[in-house]
Amino acid sequence: MEATMLPEVTAAGIIIKAIIVLAVIAGLAAFGTYVERKILAYMQRRLGPMHVGPHGLLQLAADGIKLFTKEDIIPQHANKVIFSIAPVIMAATAFIALGAVPVFPDFTIPFIDVYVPSIASDINVGILFVLGMMAAGLYAPLLAGMSQANKWGIIGAARTAVQFLSYEVVTGLSLLAPIMLVGSLSLVDFNNYHADQGVWMVVYQPVAFILFLIAGYAETNRTPFDLLEHEAEIVSGYVTEYSGLRWGLFFIGEYANMITIGILASVVFLGGYNDLWIFPGWFMIIVKIAFMFFLMLWVRASWPHIRPDQLMWLCWKVLMPLAMVNILITGFVMMII
Amino acid sequence: MSQINIKIDGQEYTTNEGEYILNAARANDIFIPAICYLTRCSPTLACRICLVEADGKQVYACNAKVKDGMEITVNTPNILKERKAIMEVYDVNHPLQCGVCDKSGECELQNYTLEIGVDSQSYSIPDTKRETTNWSSVLHYDAGLCIVCERCTTACKDMIGDAAIKTTKRGGAALDKGLKGAMPKDAYAMWNKLQKSVIAPSNGTEFTDCSDCGECAAVCPVGALVSRDFVYTSNAWDLKRVPATCAHCSSGCQIYYETRPASIENRDEKIFRVTNEWNYVSLCGAGRFGYDFENRVEGKDKIAFAKAIEAFNKAEVIHFNSTITNEEALMLQTLKEKKGVKLINREARAFQRFLNCYSKASGNSLYTTDFKEVMASDFVMSVGSSLRNDNPNARYAFNSVQKMNKGAGLYFHPVGDNLIPSFGKTIETFAHKVGHEEAALLMIIKLFADESKLPSSVKEQLDTDFVELLGGDTEKFDKAMVKMLKKKENFSLMIGEDLYFHEKAENLAKLIAVIEASSDVKVAMIPPKTNSLGVALICDLDNEASGYTIGYNESGDFRLSALGDGDLDIPAMNQQEGTLTNMHKRVTPTNAALEYNGYELNDIMGEILSAPKETIDWTAYLPTDRGFKAVEFDSLPNGYTNDGTENRGYLLDTTSTDVDEVTVDKFDDGKTLDGDIAYRCNPQRQFNDFSDKSHQIFEEFGLYASASKAESLGKRVIVEFDKGNLTLDVIVDERMEGDIVAVPDFKSAENIYELFGESRYKSVVIREV
Amino acid sequence: MGLEQFKNRNVGTQNYTKLDLPRSPVTGWCKFKQVVSRTLSGELFVGLGVTMRIMVQSLVGGQSHATLYPFEKLPISPRYRAIHEMLRLLESGHYRCIGCGLCEKICPADCITMDTAYDKNQRKEVTEYTINFGRCIFCGYCAEVCPELAIVHGNRIETASEQRASFSLFDDMLTPIDNLNLQQEYQGFGAVTPNADENIKKTPLAY
Repeated sequence: MEATMLPEVTAAGIIIKAIIVLAVIAGLAAFGTYVERKILAYMQRRLGPMHVGPHGLLQLAADGIKLFTKEDIIPQHANKVIFSIAPVIMAATAFIALGAVPVFPDFTIPFIDVYVPSIASDINVGILFVLGMMAAGLYAPLLAGMSQANKWGIIGAARTAVQFLSYEVVTGLSLLAPIMLVGSLSLVDFNNYHADQGVWMVVYQPVAFILFLIAGYAETNRTPFDLLEHEAEIVSGYVTEYSGLRWGLFFIGEYANMITIGILASVVFLGGYNDLWIFPGWFMIIVKIAFMFFLMLWVRASWPHIRPDQLMWLCWKVLMPLAMVNILITGFVMMII
Repeated sequence: MSQINIKIDGQEYTTNEGEYILNAARANDIFIPAICYLTRCSPTLACRICLVEADGKQVYACNAKVKDGMEITVNTPNILKERKAIMEVYDVNHPLQCGVCDKSGECELQNYTLEIGVDSQSYSIPDTKRETTNWSSVLHYDAGLCIVCERCTTACKDMIGDAAIKTTKRGGAALDKGLKGAMPKDAYAMWNKLQKSVIAPSNGTEFTDCSDCGECAAVCPVGALVSRDFVYTSNAWDLKRVPATCAHCSSGCQIYYETRPASIENRDEKIFRVTNEWNYVSLCGAGRFGYDFENRVEGKDKIAFAKAIEAFNKAEVIHFNSTITNEEALMLQTLKEKKGVKLINREARAFQRFLNCYSKASGNSLYTTDFKEVMASDFVMSVGSSLRNDNPNARYAFNSVQKMNKGAGLYFHPVGDNLIPSFGKTIETFAHKVGHEEAALLMIIKLFADESKLPSSVKEQLDTDFVELLGGDTEKFDKAMVKMLKKKENFSLMIGEDLYFHEKAENLAKLIAVIEASSDVKVAMIPPKTNSLGVALICDLDNEASGYTIGYNESGDFRLSALGDGDLDIPAMNQQEGTLTNMHKRVTPTNAALEYNGYELNDIMGEILSAPKETIDWTAYLPTDRGFKAVEFDSLPNGYTNDGTENRGYLLDTTSTDVDEVTVDKFDDGKTLDGDIAYRCNPQRQFNDFSDKSHQIFEEFGLYASASKAESLGKRVIVEFDKGNLTLDVIVDERMEGDIVAVPDFKSAENIYELFGESRYKSVVIREV
Repeated sequence: MGLEQFKNRNVGTQNYTKLDLPRSPVTGWCKFKQVVSRTLSGELFVGLGVTMRIMVQSLVGGQSHATLYPFEKLPISPRYRAIHEMLRLLESGHYRCIGCGLCEKICPADCITMDTAYDKNQRKEVTEYTINFGRCIFCGYCAEVCPELAIVHGNRIETASEQRASFSLFDDMLTPIDNLNLQQEYQGFGAVTPNADENIKKTPLAY
């Protein structure tokens, strides 16, 4: 594919793309909750939501209505400004990160002739931007936990800081090896790398893939690393005092992050949106993202939590050294070849 | 009474000589089962369960007296067999309706069946239909539940004196003769009697003719006799017992108010019944059934209270009666001392005057005998009291002396009464003329006094034939007296209200002093109303007063009333804490059974003078120079010990000093009342506005007369006093005899004391309306 | 009994067998080895396999433990203690309660209250009876103590209501008179045991 063949990217196109991403991902995040409940239910021989709509399909609408109409409660001794801002940070960072990620294939809207790119902003440091944005998302649980004048919130915030900062290192290091191979930070280049090589990155970098998955789970606060809001220990951690719409923003942010991680994994390691055999690229990317999402739920249904100390141990004594070794080996191999 | 040693189950105990084994054991906290025995009554031997072995012989513990060195075994295998058989027999055909029975939970049949371990039944007999009846307005008798222990008949006869119920035949199947040898002997004998008997009114009708005291229901061990008002309304375990003192008359009996929330809708406490320690004290109908006189108020009425403060600040007179605690009497006395108000209390004033004259003449600060001693005497006399109406406890004492001590009695009263002679065979009654009370006392002096100890002013008056003067037959009386005085050692005299409200009260008081000084006769006085003795001791009462008057449960310009009809509500006696001084010279505590959220006298005191927080904080400040003790209210006990010792409050201290010889006035036999005479006297069970307010006491305010007199009077009459008129319905009192009519004073609103003035008797004109 | 003894719940002889477990790793290297061995032994994937298998079974094979609750209800144990019911006598249709007050007395939450009166047939009549369901702890003592098997626990487990009062009056709990033939005998606490007849002695009767 050559860049000159593409139509000009206009502001209107980018705005439309942003709206599409926002709407679709937010919708998907909500739908994700339904999927999660259903899959967890089946894995536990239950049925999950069944009453609202056929097979409980409209449950998310009911939940949405409930979340939006719930009373907005701010605790008496909370820092009200920060308490209000924190959920917005969560959702905003999650969606901004998606700005540098290619989500759907590009297309041109007929009649008005507006070209909508596959990526809102193909900045040449895309992957760095995404990681940075996700790292900035750390502020949301941190501030939320600290502002709410609740001991569980404080503990949740402390765990947030420790867990997110630690695993940020692993994420970065695990992605360093693929970046070295591709030689670019643009996600579009990653996608093209797969097409050029004809082989998925995961074949070259299996260790990096696994490290990235583990770190991704930790960064999105998913089982077995969901210690920030671990009910058995700290009630709900940083979201203890949140309810209604504000809690909903955290929720959407979390699911958006899950999708982001899914996209990143797909684009960096699993061949991106390239056609495969008879399947078109747009279909393949959806399948891959869906699988990554499903994997998170599957893991949640199967594996137990680990302790915070085990989490730290795993990060600094196992994953980080492994990532370093992986980079070194990759570097040596690249030098030799 | 000398102390002797006995052995019960190998353990050494000390007891009084002449005591029954059962009472000796009870006094020493040893349990011997007994159903039919009542402590202050004669043994009936109906239940036979109190069987014990004394010195190797089986005896009934309620009937056998202890001897020095006696060895008693409570349980032997044979006795246990007898007892078990007896309880089994009691359970034969006893309806299995414990679930609804009012006695369940405090039933002696239940208790003994469990205690003796009856777990199966060996006997049976066809049942007889026994009807449930109502004997009177208060008594409900379920013959099916009755075990014919005869406690009710015994109590009625020995304690109360009405003898209104008795055991009668009930018919039904006879016992199989074969059982006689087959079952334990005593159980068979008991069953034989039980199977034939049932309790019924002794006058042969369906209804009892009695004073409706309810003592029979109190002593009933099972649910056969229950007050009609209580039947099926509550359970023993639901009721909270509040120990108190009855405030209807000067007996000051120990009672328990039993309360629980009134209903599902109304969760306010309500008194469901009144119970007593029936082994040691007997109540009258007013005490047992007149309990719902409480004054329920919504809350503190601030406007009325402000008006009350204003009224108290300008008050010149406080008019009150004897239904008041010692503490509140002390408050009123404090008001008198600090603010100079005059205190008016007619009945207490008369009693106070009489007591003062008596003290001056005798040197004793208070009368020397209490009614417990009267009850223990074997020759009892009564002067100046309508015994049946004035004070139930005095009447019970008079009866008990006849029944329990094989005693004799003299009864002097102008109003004829046919109940008193029925107490015993050795009772002489004198329906003397009104005004001849001095003659009665002189006659007692003549009969009992040691002439050498008599002052000359008395001695010279003794030549008169008093028996003749008082309306008796000298020859017959002398003969009877010989019989009556046989084997008599303890003599007692009760005097009543007639003497306090008497023109010659002072002289009568002197004669009383003379009787005490010169003879063995012990004298007890019946205070006219509830706490008259306490008021007489605490307050300086005034004879007459005028000006702005505050009425405390009495008439006045500003009325404090516990009846709910005054200008400021105050608590009734069942809503108050405090002490009462009763005729036994005992200061007894009473407690609040029901909540009261309004103002009380102490609040007014706190506002205009200074007062401690609670009314009962005054208890320790009752005047010690008048015999009271500086004791805190909360340290006052209120109960009886197992041997019957009264452990309630404390006894007033009495002092005695030497005095000079008294000089009594010459008796003038011409000073009598003629024509129609009205006597200020309440019907039985009525004492004051509070007994009147109670829904189970319904004796009306009317003119009480004997049957013959009533016939001549007509249905409704106007009674003309010199100070005013009364229009009253004529009510027949079957127990009254003679022409004197009784006008009740229990309604304070009728101002009866005004009409009668300083006397209890008045010449009146009675006209039919 | 001392507190220590009281707290010791090891009743009876103790025949515990100790498992022969390897020691927990102490050094960092040992721990690392343990992690590696556990990671590579595939145990984690066994877990994933189980959940996947179950999901497939429940999706395809229709194996599910769930009941569609409001439409489908599981039978309740006869000893279950739901909202109370007052039973009637089958013969006369009169309520069984005799107003003895035992339930009122035994109730540890003090939530039963009754008013009784002497009625015109000389019987004890229950004029009013309430249970305060705000306080009731459904302990079943009332049913157990009831001598007439009058108050029992029913099977009304769905007790959502705008007011608790709508359960608590005598008439609400009483079997409707037209449903008398549907009245079930209670099997739970306080019911007559199947061998009750063997446990009592017979009282001799003279007729």
